[in-house]
Amino acid sequence: MHTYEVFLKRDGQEEYRHAGSINAPNDELALLLARENYLRRAEADLLWMVDRAHLLVGDRDFVAPNSDKPHRDNDGLLVAAHRKSQRGGM
Amino acid sequence: MTPMTPGTAEFLLAFADDEHLMGQQHTEWIGIAPFLEEDMAFASIAQDELSHAALLYAIVTDKGQGGPPDDRAIDRLAFDRNADDYRSAQIVEVACTGWAHALVRHWLYDTAEELRWSLVARSELEPLRDTAARAAREERFHVRHADGLIDVLVRTPDSAGRLAGAVNDVLPLATGLFDPVAGEAEAVEAGVTSAPFDTLLPEWTDRVRARFPDIDIGAIAAPASAGRARRHEDFAALMARMNEVRSIDPTAIW
Repeated sequence: MHTYEVFLKRDGQEEYRHAGSINAPNDELALLLARENYLRRAEADLLWMVDRAHLLVGDRDFVAPNSDKPHRDNDGLLVAAHRKSQRGGM
Repeated sequence: MTPMTPGTAEFLLAFADDEHLMGQQHTEWIGIAPFLEEDMAFASIAQDELSHAALLYAIVTDKGQGGPPDDRAIDRLAFDRNADDYRSAQIVEVACTGWAHALVRHWLYDTAEELRWSLVARSELEPLRDTAARAAREERFHVRHADGLIDVLVRTPDSAGRLAGAVNDVLPLATGLFDPVAGEAEAVEAGVTSAPFDTLLPEWTDRVRARFPDIDIGAIAAPASAGRARRHEDFAALMARMNEVRSIDPTAIW
Protein backbone atom coordinates (compact mmCIF):
# COMPACT_ATOMS: atom_id res chain seq x y z
CA MET A 1 0.00 0.00 0.00
CA HIS A 2 1.05 3.56 -0.69
CA THR A 3 -0.23 6.62 1.12
CA TYR A 4 -1.46 9.41 -1.10
CA GLU A 5 -2.24 12.99 -0.17
CA VAL A 6 -5.49 14.32 -1.63
CA PHE A 7 -5.99 17.92 -2.77
CA LEU A 8 -9.30 19.32 -3.99
CA LYS A 9 -10.18 22.50 -5.84
CA ARG A 10 -13.41 24.08 -6.87
CA ASP A 11 -13.72 25.96 -10.14
CA GLY A 12 -12.98 29.66 -9.78
CA GLN A 13 -10.30 31.36 -7.74
CA GLU A 14 -10.13 28.96 -4.84
CA GLU A 15 -6.73 27.28 -4.54
CA TYR A 16 -6.13 23.56 -4.17
CA ARG A 17 -6.68 22.55 -0.56
CA HIS A 18 -5.43 19.51 1.28
CA ALA A 19 -8.45 17.29 1.97
CA GLY A 20 -6.83 14.29 3.62
CA SER A 21 -4.97 11.15 2.71
CA ILE A 22 -5.77 7.72 1.41
CA ASN A 23 -4.13 4.30 1.26
CA ALA A 24 -4.14 2.51 -2.07
CA PRO A 25 -2.04 -0.16 -3.78
CA ASN A 26 -1.37 1.88 -6.94
CA ASP A 27 -2.12 5.16 -8.74
CA GLU A 28 -5.21 3.90 -10.60
CA LEU A 29 -6.91 2.63 -7.45
CA ALA A 30 -5.79 5.73 -5.55
CA LEU A 31 -7.72 7.89 -8.02
CA LEU A 32 -10.79 5.65 -8.02
CA LEU A 33 -10.88 5.31 -4.24
CA ALA A 34 -10.38 9.06 -3.76
CA ARG A 35 -13.28 9.64 -6.13
CA GLU A 36 -15.60 7.58 -3.93
CA ASN A 37 -14.14 8.76 -0.59
CA TYR A 38 -13.60 12.48 -1.16
CA LEU A 39 -15.81 13.45 -4.10
CA ARG A 40 -19.02 11.53 -3.63
CA ARG A 41 -20.90 14.64 -2.58
CA ALA A 42 -19.45 16.85 -5.34
CA GLU A 43 -16.94 18.40 -2.94
CA ALA A 44 -14.75 19.72 -5.77
CA ASP A 45 -14.30 20.09 -9.51
CA LEU A 46 -10.62 19.14 -9.70
CA LEU A 47 -8.41 16.64 -7.94
CA TRP A 48 -4.69 16.40 -7.31
CA MET A 49 -3.10 13.39 -5.67
CA VAL A 50 0.49 12.72 -4.80
CA ASP A 51 2.16 9.65 -3.40
CA ARG A 52 3.53 10.72 -0.02
CA ALA A 53 6.87 9.17 -1.02
CA HIS A 54 7.16 11.82 -3.73
CA LEU A 55 6.56 14.81 -1.47
CA LEU A 56 9.52 17.13 -0.88
CA VAL A 57 9.64 17.48 2.87
CA GLY A 58 11.34 20.17 4.91
CA ASP A 59 11.65 18.74 8.43
CA ARG A 60 11.66 20.71 11.71
CA ASP A 61 15.42 21.01 11.77
CA PHE A 62 15.32 22.46 8.25
CA VAL A 63 12.49 24.89 8.97
CA ALA A 64 13.03 25.97 12.62
CA PRO A 65 16.05 28.36 12.28
CA ASN A 66 13.73 30.98 10.83
CA SER A 67 11.44 30.99 13.87
CA ASP A 68 13.50 33.38 16.07
CA LYS A 69 14.13 36.32 13.71
CA PRO A 70 11.67 38.98 14.86
CA HIS A 71 13.75 41.57 12.99
CA ARG A 72 12.32 40.09 9.81
CA ASP A 73 8.77 40.82 10.93
CA ASN A 74 7.28 44.15 9.99
CA ASP A 75 3.65 44.61 10.83
CA GLY A 76 3.79 48.29 9.82
CA LEU A 77 2.38 49.54 13.15
CA LEU A 78 5.23 51.98 13.87
CA VAL A 79 5.11 53.44 10.38
CA ALA A 80 1.33 53.76 10.56
CA ALA A 81 1.53 55.56 13.92
CA HIS A 82 4.16 57.94 12.58
CA ARG A 83 2.14 58.83 9.48
CA LYS A 84 -0.98 59.29 11.56
CA SER A 85 0.86 61.79 13.82
CA GLN A 86 2.12 63.72 10.76
CA ARG A 87 -1.49 64.10 9.54
CA GLY A 88 -2.36 66.06 12.67
CA GLY A 89 -3.19 63.42 15.22
CA MET A 90 -6.72 62.52 14.07
CA MET B 1 -49.21 6.30 -27.90
CA THR B 2 -47.27 6.10 -24.68
CA PRO B 3 -44.57 3.43 -24.66
CA MET B 4 -45.52 2.79 -21.02
CA THR B 5 -47.41 -0.48 -21.51
CA PRO B 6 -47.84 -3.22 -18.87
CA GLY B 7 -45.02 -5.13 -20.59
CA THR B 8 -42.76 -2.11 -20.30
CA ALA B 9 -43.54 -1.89 -16.59
CA GLU B 10 -42.51 -5.54 -16.16
CA PHE B 11 -39.34 -4.89 -18.12
CA LEU B 12 -38.47 -1.86 -15.97
CA LEU B 13 -39.26 -3.68 -12.74
CA ALA B 14 -36.77 -6.44 -13.56
CA PHE B 15 -34.07 -3.85 -14.17
CA ALA B 16 -35.00 -1.90 -11.03
CA ASP B 17 -35.09 -5.03 -8.85
CA ASP B 18 -31.59 -6.01 -10.02
CA GLU B 19 -30.23 -2.56 -9.26
CA HIS B 20 -32.00 -2.41 -5.91
CA LEU B 21 -30.80 -5.75 -4.60
CA MET B 22 -27.29 -5.34 -6.03
CA GLY B 23 -27.01 -1.97 -4.32
CA GLN B 24 -28.22 -3.43 -1.04
CA GLN B 25 -25.77 -6.34 -1.21
CA HIS B 26 -22.82 -4.00 -1.82
CA THR B 27 -23.79 -1.69 1.05
CA GLU B 28 -23.58 -4.62 3.43
CA TRP B 29 -19.76 -4.49 3.06
CA ILE B 30 -19.62 -1.17 4.86
CA GLY B 31 -17.33 -1.63 7.85
CA ILE B 32 -16.07 -5.06 6.81
CA ALA B 33 -14.44 -4.58 3.39
CA PRO B 34 -10.71 -5.46 3.32
CA PHE B 35 -9.55 -1.89 3.97
CA LEU B 36 -11.07 1.38 5.08
CA GLU B 37 -10.99 3.16 1.72
CA GLU B 38 -12.72 0.22 0.06
CA ASP B 39 -15.45 0.22 2.72
CA MET B 40 -16.51 3.66 1.65
CA ALA B 41 -15.89 3.20 -2.06
CA PHE B 42 -17.97 0.04 -2.32
CA ALA B 43 -20.83 1.54 -0.34
CA SER B 44 -20.67 4.68 -2.46
CA ILE B 45 -20.93 2.59 -5.62
CA ALA B 46 -23.83 0.78 -3.97
CA GLN B 47 -25.61 4.09 -3.48
CA ASP B 48 -25.27 4.75 -7.21
CA GLU B 49 -27.04 1.45 -7.90
CA LEU B 50 -29.76 2.25 -5.37
CA SER B 51 -30.35 5.59 -7.04
CA HIS B 52 -30.68 3.86 -10.41
CA ALA B 53 -33.26 1.56 -8.84
CA ALA B 54 -35.20 4.48 -7.38
CA LEU B 55 -35.24 6.25 -10.75
CA LEU B 56 -36.46 3.11 -12.51
CA TYR B 57 -39.17 2.43 -9.91
CA ALA B 58 -40.22 6.08 -10.25
CA ILE B 59 -40.76 5.63 -13.99
CA VAL B 60 -43.05 2.69 -13.22
CA THR B 61 -45.00 4.47 -10.48
CA ASP B 62 -45.80 7.56 -12.54
CA LYS B 63 -46.11 5.72 -15.81
CA GLY B 64 -43.22 7.49 -17.49
CA GLN B 65 -44.60 11.01 -17.03
CA GLY B 66 -41.32 12.19 -15.54
CA GLY B 67 -43.03 13.97 -12.63
CA PRO B 68 -41.66 14.36 -9.10
CA PRO B 69 -40.96 10.97 -7.53
CA ASP B 70 -43.58 9.53 -5.18
CA ASP B 71 -41.33 8.07 -2.48
CA ARG B 72 -44.11 6.07 -0.83
CA ALA B 73 -45.08 4.44 -4.10
CA ILE B 74 -41.43 3.70 -4.86
CA ASP B 75 -41.00 2.10 -1.42
CA ARG B 76 -44.06 -0.07 -1.99
CA LEU B 77 -42.48 -1.42 -5.17
CA ALA B 78 -39.05 -1.77 -3.65
CA PHE B 79 -39.99 -3.36 -0.31
CA ASP B 80 -43.61 -4.46 -0.12
CA ARG B 81 -44.20 -6.86 -2.98
CA ASN B 82 -44.55 -10.60 -2.51
CA ALA B 83 -41.35 -12.54 -3.19
CA ASP B 84 -42.96 -14.09 -6.26
CA ASP B 85 -43.63 -10.67 -7.74
CA TYR B 86 -39.96 -9.65 -7.85
CA ARG B 87 -38.21 -10.04 -11.20
CA SER B 88 -34.62 -9.97 -9.97
CA ALA B 89 -31.95 -12.35 -11.27
CA GLN B 90 -30.51 -14.80 -8.75
CA ILE B 91 -27.03 -13.25 -9.02
CA VAL B 92 -28.27 -10.24 -7.05
CA GLU B 93 -30.16 -12.38 -4.53
CA VAL B 94 -27.43 -14.82 -3.55
CA ALA B 95 -25.43 -14.00 -0.42
CA CYS B 96 -21.74 -13.45 -1.22
CA THR B 97 -20.12 -13.55 2.19
CA GLY B 98 -16.52 -13.79 0.92
CA TRP B 99 -14.74 -10.80 -0.53
CA ALA B 100 -13.56 -12.67 -3.63
CA HIS B 101 -17.15 -13.61 -4.44
CA ALA B 102 -18.42 -10.10 -3.79
CA LEU B 103 -15.71 -8.59 -5.99
CA VAL B 104 -16.25 -11.04 -8.84
CA ARG B 105 -19.99 -10.40 -8.67
CA HIS B 106 -19.31 -6.65 -8.69
CA TRP B 107 -17.26 -7.01 -11.89
CA LEU B 108 -19.66 -9.43 -13.64
CA TYR B 109 -22.73 -7.41 -12.71
CA ASP B 110 -21.37 -3.97 -13.59
CA THR B 111 -19.93 -5.18 -16.88
CA ALA B 112 -23.38 -6.49 -17.76
CA GLU B 113 -25.08 -3.38 -16.41
CA GLU B 114 -22.98 -1.08 -18.57
CA LEU B 115 -24.17 -3.02 -21.63
CA ARG B 116 -27.75 -3.03 -20.35
CA TRP B 117 -27.93 0.77 -20.12
CA SER B 118 -26.57 1.10 -23.64
CA LEU B 119 -29.72 -0.64 -24.91
CA VAL B 120 -31.98 2.06 -23.49
CA ALA B 121 -29.75 5.05 -24.29
CA ARG B 122 -32.08 6.04 -27.14
CA SER B 123 -35.31 4.86 -25.54
CA GLU B 124 -38.66 6.26 -26.64
CA LEU B 125 -39.35 6.68 -22.93
CA GLU B 126 -37.78 10.02 -22.08
CA PRO B 127 -37.20 9.55 -18.32
CA LEU B 128 -35.54 6.22 -19.09
CA ARG B 129 -33.29 7.90 -21.64
CA ASP B 130 -32.28 10.50 -19.05
CA THR B 131 -31.63 7.82 -16.44
CA ALA B 132 -29.52 5.87 -18.92
CA ALA B 133 -27.34 8.90 -19.63
CA ARG B 134 -26.73 9.43 -15.94
CA ALA B 135 -26.06 5.75 -15.25
CA ALA B 136 -23.61 5.50 -18.15
CA ARG B 137 -21.53 8.28 -16.60
CA GLU B 138 -21.33 6.31 -13.36
CA GLU B 139 -20.95 2.77 -14.65
CA ARG B 140 -17.61 3.33 -16.35
CA PHE B 141 -16.15 4.14 -12.93
CA HIS B 142 -17.80 1.12 -11.33
CA VAL B 143 -16.18 -1.20 -13.85
CA ARG B 144 -12.83 0.61 -13.52
CA HIS B 145 -13.03 0.17 -9.76
CA ALA B 146 -13.64 -3.57 -10.04
CA ASP B 147 -10.96 -3.90 -12.71
CA GLY B 148 -8.45 -1.97 -10.61
CA LEU B 149 -8.87 -4.31 -7.65
CA ILE B 150 -8.77 -7.45 -9.78
CA ASP B 151 -5.66 -6.20 -11.63
CA VAL B 152 -3.82 -6.04 -8.30
CA LEU B 153 -5.17 -9.27 -6.85
CA VAL B 154 -4.50 -11.56 -9.82
CA ARG B 155 -0.78 -10.95 -9.39
CA THR B 156 -0.57 -13.05 -6.25
CA PRO B 157 -1.31 -16.78 -6.50
CA ASP B 158 -3.46 -16.92 -3.37
CA SER B 159 -5.75 -14.09 -4.49
CA ALA B 160 -5.83 -15.30 -8.08
CA GLY B 161 -6.93 -18.72 -6.87
CA ARG B 162 -9.69 -17.25 -4.74
CA LEU B 163 -10.92 -15.14 -7.64
CA ALA B 164 -10.93 -18.16 -9.96
CA GLY B 165 -12.98 -20.10 -7.43
CA ALA B 166 -15.41 -17.22 -7.16
CA VAL B 167 -15.80 -17.01 -10.93
CA ASN B 168 -16.65 -20.69 -10.97
CA ASP B 169 -19.31 -20.19 -8.32
CA VAL B 170 -20.80 -16.89 -9.46
CA LEU B 171 -20.63 -17.00 -13.25
CA PRO B 172 -23.48 -19.50 -13.72
CA LEU B 173 -25.81 -17.22 -11.77
CA ALA B 174 -24.55 -14.13 -13.58
CA THR B 175 -25.66 -15.46 -16.95
CA GLY B 176 -29.19 -15.41 -15.50
CA LEU B 177 -29.08 -11.62 -15.85
CA PHE B 178 -29.63 -12.17 -19.56
CA ASP B 179 -32.72 -14.38 -19.11
CA PRO B 180 -35.57 -12.75 -21.02
CA VAL B 181 -37.99 -11.06 -18.68
CA ALA B 182 -41.74 -10.97 -19.17
CA GLY B 183 -42.59 -7.83 -21.10
CA GLU B 184 -39.23 -7.46 -22.79
CA ALA B 185 -40.62 -8.22 -26.25
CA GLU B 186 -43.30 -5.62 -25.70
CA ALA B 187 -40.70 -3.09 -24.54
CA VAL B 188 -38.68 -3.72 -27.69
CA GLU B 189 -41.82 -3.31 -29.78
CA ALA B 190 -42.62 0.01 -28.10
CA GLY B 191 -39.08 1.32 -28.62
CA VAL B 192 -38.43 1.43 -24.88
CA THR B 193 -35.34 -0.69 -25.40
CA SER B 194 -33.52 -1.25 -28.67
CA ALA B 195 -33.06 -5.04 -28.40
CA PRO B 196 -33.47 -7.96 -26.01
CA PHE B 197 -30.72 -8.00 -23.37
CA ASP B 198 -29.57 -11.48 -24.39
CA THR B 199 -28.39 -10.10 -27.74
CA LEU B 200 -25.47 -8.69 -25.72
CA LEU B 201 -24.64 -11.99 -24.01
CA PRO B 202 -21.87 -12.77 -26.55
CA GLU B 203 -20.28 -9.34 -26.01
CA TRP B 204 -20.43 -9.79 -22.25
CA THR B 205 -18.97 -13.29 -22.52
CA ASP B 206 -16.08 -11.91 -24.60
CA ARG B 207 -15.37 -9.38 -21.87
CA VAL B 208 -15.49 -12.10 -19.21
CA ARG B 209 -12.99 -14.18 -21.21
CA ALA B 210 -10.66 -11.20 -21.63
CA ARG B 211 -10.86 -10.43 -17.90
CA PHE B 212 -10.33 -14.02 -16.74
CA PRO B 213 -8.21 -15.55 -19.54
CA ASP B 214 -7.01 -18.48 -17.45
CA ILE B 215 -10.48 -19.71 -16.64
CA ASP B 216 -12.20 -22.15 -18.98
CA ILE B 217 -15.56 -20.47 -19.12
CA GLY B 218 -17.04 -23.12 -21.38
CA ALA B 219 -16.41 -25.72 -18.70
CA ILE B 220 -18.52 -23.92 -16.13
CA ALA B 221 -21.91 -25.54 -16.23
CA ALA B 222 -24.82 -23.24 -16.95
CA PRO B 223 -27.67 -23.70 -14.51
CA ALA B 224 -31.23 -24.37 -15.49
CA SER B 225 -32.69 -20.99 -16.35
CA ALA B 226 -34.56 -19.42 -13.46
CA GLY B 227 -36.13 -16.94 -15.86
CA ARG B 228 -36.29 -14.34 -13.08
CA ALA B 229 -39.40 -16.15 -11.85
CA ARG B 230 -37.87 -18.15 -8.99
CA ARG B 231 -36.23 -16.48 -6.01
CA HIS B 232 -32.89 -17.71 -4.70
CA GLU B 233 -33.01 -19.28 -1.24
CA ASP B 234 -31.05 -16.29 0.13
CA PHE B 235 -33.71 -13.80 -1.01
CA ALA B 236 -35.93 -13.99 2.07
CA ALA B 237 -33.12 -13.21 4.49
CA LEU B 238 -31.98 -10.31 2.30
CA MET B 239 -35.46 -8.79 2.30
CA ALA B 240 -35.73 -9.28 6.05
CA ARG B 241 -32.46 -7.38 6.60
CA MET B 242 -33.58 -4.58 4.32
CA ASN B 243 -36.90 -4.21 6.11
CA GLU B 244 -35.53 -4.69 9.62
CA VAL B 245 -35.59 -1.02 10.58
CA ARG B 246 -38.38 0.07 8.27
CA SER B 247 -40.78 -2.50 9.71
CA ILE B 248 -40.39 -1.04 13.22
CA ASP B 249 -42.63 1.81 12.06
CA PRO B 250 -43.92 1.49 8.50
CA THR B 251 -45.53 4.94 8.70
CA ALA B 252 -42.30 6.77 9.57
CA ILE B 253 -41.04 9.42 7.16
CA TRP B 254 -37.40 8.94 6.20
